[in-house]
Amino acid sequence: MARNKFDIDETLETPFDIKHLKRALVYAGKYRKKIFLSLFISILAAVIGLLSPLIVQYAVDNCMKGAETIPMLAVCAGALLLTIIISVFLAQKRAKMMTRVGQDIIYDIRKDLFKHMQELPFEYYDSRPHGKILVRVINYVNSISDLMTNGIINFVLEMMNLLFIIVFMFFVCWQLALVVLCGLPIYGAVIMFIKNRQRKAWQLTSNKSSNLSAYLHESIIGVQISQVFTREKVNAEINDKLAKSYRKTWMKAVGYSNLVWPSTDIVSTLTRAAIYLVGLLFMPGLSLGTILAMGDYSARFWQPMMNLSNLMNTFINAVAYLERIFEMLDEPVTVKDKVGAAEMPEIKGDVHFRDVTFSYEDGTSVLEHLSFDVKAGQSIALVGPTGAGKTTIVNLISRFYNLDSGSVTIDDTNIADVTLHSLRSQMGIMLQDSFIFSGTIMENLKYGRLDASDKEVYEACRIVGIHDYIMSLKDDYDTVVSERGAGLSQGQKQLIALARTILSNPKILVLDEATSSIDAKTERNLQNGLNHLLKGRTSFIIAHRLSTIRNCDMIMYVSNKGVTESGTHDELIAKRGDYYKLYTAQAV
Amino acid sequence: MFMFRWLWKNMKGDRAIYCCALCMTLVCQSMYIIAPYITQQIIDTFLVGEQAAENLRTGTNTLITMLLMMIGFTVLRCIIQYTSNMCYEHASQGIIYRVRKILFDNIEKQDALFYDHHRTGDIMTVITGDLEMVRHSIAWIIKTTLECIVLFSATMIYFFTIDWLMALCMLALTPVILLITKGFKNVVGPFYVDLREKLSDMNTHAEENISGNRVVKAFAREDTEIGKFDNCNRSYNEANKKAAFTWLKFFPGLEITAQSLSVVCLFFGGMFVALGRMTFGEYAAFAGLVWTLSNPMRTLGNIVNDYQRFTASANKIIELYYGRPFIVDRADAEEVEGRIKGAVEFRDVSFSYGDTEVLRNISIKAEPGETVAIMGATGSGKTTLIDLIPRIYDVSGGAVLVDGHDVRMMKLEQLRGAIGIATQDVLLYSDTIEGNICFGNIDLPEEEVVKYAKAADADGFIQKTSDGYDTIIGERGVGLSGGQKQRISLARALAVKPSILILDDTTSAVDLETEKHIQDALANLDFPCTKIIVAQRISTTRTADRIIVLKDGTVAECGTHEELIQQNGYYREVYDLQK
Repeated sequence: MARNKFDIDETLETPFDIKHLKRALVYAGKYRKKIFLSLFISILAAVIGLLSPLIVQYAVDNCMKGAETIPMLAVCAGALLLTIIISVFLAQKRAKMMTRVGQDIIYDIRKDLFKHMQELPFEYYDSRPHGKILVRVINYVNSISDLMTNGIINFVLEMMNLLFIIVFMFFVCWQLALVVLCGLPIYGAVIMFIKNRQRKAWQLTSNKSSNLSAYLHESIIGVQISQVFTREKVNAEINDKLAKSYRKTWMKAVGYSNLVWPSTDIVSTLTRAAIYLVGLLFMPGLSLGTILAMGDYSARFWQPMMNLSNLMNTFINAVAYLERIFEMLDEPVTVKDKVGAAEMPEIKGDVHFRDVTFSYEDGTSVLEHLSFDVKAGQSIALVGPTGAGKTTIVNLISRFYNLDSGSVTIDDTNIADVTLHSLRSQMGIMLQDSFIFSGTIMENLKYGRLDASDKEVYEACRIVGIHDYIMSLKDDYDTVVSERGAGLSQGQKQLIALARTILSNPKILVLDEATSSIDAKTERNLQNGLNHLLKGRTSFIIAHRLSTIRNCDMIMYVSNKGVTESGTHDELIAKRGDYYKLYTAQAV
Repeated sequence: MFMFRWLWKNMKGDRAIYCCALCMTLVCQSMYIIAPYITQQIIDTFLVGEQAAENLRTGTNTLITMLLMMIGFTVLRCIIQYTSNMCYEHASQGIIYRVRKILFDNIEKQDALFYDHHRTGDIMTVITGDLEMVRHSIAWIIKTTLECIVLFSATMIYFFTIDWLMALCMLALTPVILLITKGFKNVVGPFYVDLREKLSDMNTHAEENISGNRVVKAFAREDTEIGKFDNCNRSYNEANKKAAFTWLKFFPGLEITAQSLSVVCLFFGGMFVALGRMTFGEYAAFAGLVWTLSNPMRTLGNIVNDYQRFTASANKIIELYYGRPFIVDRADAEEVEGRIKGAVEFRDVSFSYGDTEVLRNISIKAEPGETVAIMGATGSGKTTLIDLIPRIYDVSGGAVLVDGHDVRMMKLEQLRGAIGIATQDVLLYSDTIEGNICFGNIDLPEEEVVKYAKAADADGFIQKTSDGYDTIIGERGVGLSGGQKQRISLARALAVKPSILILDDTTSAVDLETEKHIQDALANLDFPCTKIIVAQRISTTRTADRIIVLKDGTVAECGTHEELIQQNGYYREVYDLQK
């Protein structure tokens, strides 16, 4: 898989795709009642707004002729005030509704995005900086809120406005109306010139901001490494480079965007001048009132055009982000439930690999034609050189990846045929990276089984031998650990992760280097507790310390894309093969 | 005001451009008032004036000239406005560029204590969302405020010259607006503080979910995660609505008051006309310019709204901007001459983390070139101990000395530059393998990269990857096995050719054959180097010059392999276990 890093731009999709807009509208569709209602309110407000010039007109004509007209003037002023109050409250109502709609759409999109994220396979997370994923869920979704809140309604309103004016203009004087419309091709040409450049520029800007965030994110996570390697200056330079290129692309993009309204303004003035010119010089019969009115209408025609152009700016800007959001939503879920997948029945623990071939990337297979059988309740140790595929084998049992060919079955059920949730929730997997969430220790321990009782938690911690340590902390089990378990030693984190796995009461237990950071003595104590626990459960253990694995029912030596030796400790020692070599190398 | 001074300070370099932009805004504002004047002239001269027909016949050229003037004027105004807008963008981008730089430098310098209290998502929120708010404020709030003030005062002056009583009537509504705005300002502030807090929470949660995606899947906890995120998402959604609704609650008051200006104008103006105090033309002047008063009043609410939002964000930025780490170069820190030889001494060192004492009265010595192994039970303080050498933490008592100098008296850069460390929690970057190995020494020639990769026994598997040393590895090294990550991390530590090499359980996940190879390589490094190795395996520790066994933060045993196996202590026990 092609990996992305912080300074690599993600690919751009060049032609503009109307489907993004359609898709955004699907989200809006859920709220169409409210949107139509808001639209109706807006139109109502516009109609009421038309009343005020009439009132003023009437007052000016009739109520300013001496003291006796003043009461009438007061009535007019009152009426004017009334129209203002009504239209303001209508505007408030509309704004409230649209805020709700806009925010709810954002909420929906973000919810879908996050939900989809949970289904995405490891590859997705492994192939790009996490900061790039983060900005999409948070910042990008926020960027489109403006479009969603007011964009749709304003678009419809302005279009109606425009139509209204055009009809009116033709009604008054169709020849001059045509003159006004002559501005449109010029305007269209300008917009066409700007549009594609603008779109590309904003896409690039969203890319650069993504790069910047990705680097920032990695820098925060790796800050201690940077410090001990005195990398601060180099990092600052990289950040500077990224920030500069973001600034440059931003200026370019905004430069195009800012071109839009002056063009409208200039074209508007041109048509107005054209009206006076044509009206006065070439159409002598025209009444002065008509020319005046048409001059006015042309200004009114271009005002909504200007608003629409601004809307287009918002839109083009938002689409650059929308594309990235939808791209993520379209990211294929490669490891997913089959249609009509059944629930995994309660696992007894027979595991069979049948002719399994697997590769992370096309062409370079990690495992080839691997077959083995494990009976329920057996404990299996996987040994062999680093990178030989031990972790891969256990990952396949949990179906973290799809096989290239062959099958993995548990209790004669092909794991590809059952739901992921029913499969994984019966497995206890302790990963190499003992990730601890921020929160209390108790919350972390219960992560695998939310309804575990406190007593069960204590029991699990006693088995792994971390109970006494936790009790010595200020708030014992309620002690809050910060991100990634900062404040705990690596060994303690492993022990907590191990307790967490044990607590989930798995039918199949996978321990991948579960005790690598734990000292030999603690491990020995742990072993006794574990042995008791492993009884009756199928377990897969990856470890380099042979003392950990000597007692396993079967040891598999993994190398050369498969299992080259397997058997009990004694059998393998007698065989004098790779395992023997490994064992004797470790013996002090 | 402090915030504006802070903005001004960070505008250094773009101040002139920004001020130019402000001036251009003023020019544009006045041009907006002048432009209709030309149109008016055309209408008066050629359309409605007494000699309009006559003028039209004789003055066709004048008409065309005037029309061209009208167009020219608009073009000019557009050019000025475009330029001023670009200047605002330039200046605001300049500010956030500079602030971003300083914030980045600052978070790079912050010590472990800071990171124990600041979540990644929080910092991300400040540098992404909050910074965007600052940009907006410079490009919009200040400019709009200025526009409003200018427009409002110019019109007021003009009005007073026409009729002072009428002008006063128009002004009468201003206190009402100010009062409502002030009330609004006090109410809305906390909502924006809350809003950005919610954003920060959501950011943090998403960040953790992404980083911990493997654990989530391993425990099939997707639904729980979706539920938790949904809470954040909903809180944020509600906070957004709350803030918006607060604004909308005040909106009718502000809007009605501002728009009432036209009512005031109509009533009082009409009355004055009716009473003969004002001419009709004067009334028309008032009526025509009512918008120049009401618009600024209406905008005031928006300005206050955005200002409060800006304040909530700027406070967080400033906090990060001025935050200083505790572990810094002392003013009297001295550069040590020449290459650090690598003598390390712990002299009666104690260390407490919060209220918990982690290390107590530790005295250890390592001569240049020696290998010291550190062993001990989980949580006995091994990692903390070695963290004190590069000053990730500072000692609470006693002193750590390198070449006889207290590390707190040395320059951090020199001290850390002399140390190569392979931490337990291997953190690799989403960069090429070569980039990762050269992390601390970016000028390392390629053949040396390969040399150190070979020393760490990493060359073999690197060659097998699709692009060799140019293969990009995922963030935190995902995609590599634990042992592979450890070996790259070791190569990275070796690549700085350190005087002091610290290995914190670096070979725990590699197989024994590999470990043997690494040990041989470490014994034959081409630069002088003191090695401090935390390890669990006897095979690693047996060849060390000295082995230290830590127990509950104190030195329990100390000696060579042979000496320690004679004692009936922890070491002997571990030895027996691994025999």
